[in-house]
Amino acid sequence: MTSAFRLVFGSLMSKGRLVTLGVLGLIPVLLGLALRTQDSGVFNSAYHGIVEAYGLGLLVPVVSLVFASAAFGDPVDDRTLVYLWLKPVPRWRLALAALGASICVALPLAVVPIAVGVSISGAGTELVRGALAGTALAVIAYCCLFLGLGLRVRRALVWGFAYVLIWEGAVARTARGAARLSINVHARSVASRIAHHALPTNGSSMRVGVAVPLVLAAVAFAITVWWLARADVA
Amino acid sequence: MTATIEVDALTKWFGDLVALSDVSFSVEPGVTAMLGPNGAGKSTLLRVLCGLTAPSRGTVRVLGRSPRGDISLYRRIGLVPQQESLFDGMTAYDFVTVSAELTGMAKGRVSGNKAAGALELVELDPADRRPIAAYSKGMRQRVKVAAALVHDPELVVLDEPLEGLDPRQRLRMIELFRRLGDEGRTVLVSSHVLDEVERFGSRVLVIVQGKLAAEGDFRAIRELMEDRPHRVRVRSDDARALAAGLMDAGAALGVRVAGENVVIDTDQVGALRRSLAVVARERGARLFEVVPLDDDLESVFRYLVERR
Repeated sequence: MTSAFRLVFGSLMSKGRLVTLGVLGLIPVLLGLALRTQDSGVFNSAYHGIVEAYGLGLLVPVVSLVFASAAFGDPVDDRTLVYLWLKPVPRWRLALAALGASICVALPLAVVPIAVGVSISGAGTELVRGALAGTALAVIAYCCLFLGLGLRVRRALVWGFAYVLIWEGAVARTARGAARLSINVHARSVASRIAHHALPTNGSSMRVGVAVPLVLAAVAFAITVWWLARADVA
Repeated sequence: MTATIEVDALTKWFGDLVALSDVSFSVEPGVTAMLGPNGAGKSTLLRVLCGLTAPSRGTVRVLGRSPRGDISLYRRIGLVPQQESLFDGMTAYDFVTVSAELTGMAKGRVSGNKAAGALELVELDPADRRPIAAYSKGMRQRVKVAAALVHDPELVVLDEPLEGLDPRQRLRMIELFRRLGDEGRTVLVSSHVLDEVERFGSRVLVIVQGKLAAEGDFRAIRELMEDRPHRVRVRSDDARALAAGLMDAGAALGVRVAGENVVIDTDQVGALRRSLAVVARERGARLFEVVPLDDDLESVFRYLVERR
């Protein structure tokens, strides 16, 4: 599996992606610096501004989308998938290698800037821990979700953005039923509980907050493996 | 001899497009060339044989098993796909090593040595630290061949492997394919260039418009191609005399004179070639130009399809 991981990881590390998303990662750090000068309400501002709005609302899903959809999307587009696919390796191991590669690239680019921003703001170590846990959970779940999207759908970035904006950004925030299946809502719950912050709307218990994104991730991963086994490879 | 590949009534369609239609053949160890014009369905057929896409109808057996979904079979297949794209950020050595490892070869020295051997086989330097992105088209082609051969597959499938190679490299590659065939491997190589296929000196499958237009020994198919009706235009200072002479000599099925030109229909192109100069001398006609009007590969293929 490490060989497949090396192939996918290497192809994901394009300079353009790393620079663009690296620049997006500077924003929470700058926000943290700006909050540092604030006299009061730093904790709330850091939570709502850095973790909830920018981190879980934008940076985490976008970084996860870009890398996870590219893990199979790039080889499908440039027709190099054949070099992975036509090998006597179980399909779940190929998918796991691609997932591992996308998580390994997305985690530091999405989670670290948020944790650094919160830390710089002076909001305290509990919020840093909450931010780390919530965003890491969201990265893993989103990567599982978007891995299959890249394999199956042309213009996966467009569809992924639509999902992030419409489902996670609007529907899940207003409809209680939809919130139960929202990675964003559960990740916010986990971050809030660890940070001892007031729970967000539709917030869930710690156990549910961790379990639901992981179950969604497992289902999405299983579907990706199924698609991969039946893929028409160019 | 046991057939490595057995294809029975294979049909493949993509939506409304029928890419392969009722194709049946078998391939035994040795070199088999698949000849056909661009868009004939050769690549689709090779993809089906490697399990990369499922047949819409019919059956395909490769090394006794169905290639679609039987991943253990992929250890025994080496494929050189037509597309040029590779993992450009890697070195050729790393890419071929990873290919070896993915087929189950032990990591480290074993796969590294095999990769170095495969690269040397195609005359590439395993110590070259440049990324594949810096390679020429011919070098990339050879990297693909090395990656396909690194795990010693029993079946080697090559889709237009000579594209982008210079004449010397082409020669070396053809020698390599023949050697692999002589070793008892099954080598299936596609090409749209008739002369290339001739040099494989092998059994040929001719695919045209998704159908198997002809199969058998290359020489037999070549003769078939030679014997088909030909149309030749000859320019002469006495077209009428030349036309009459050719009809008298029995070298033409029909002639049509237009100004200085005689358009000749014949099914014996060799006989026409021999008698043309003789008739011209006898009739006192000077020959300025002899142009075959339907000698392109497309018309040869068209003839083979119509013949079936």
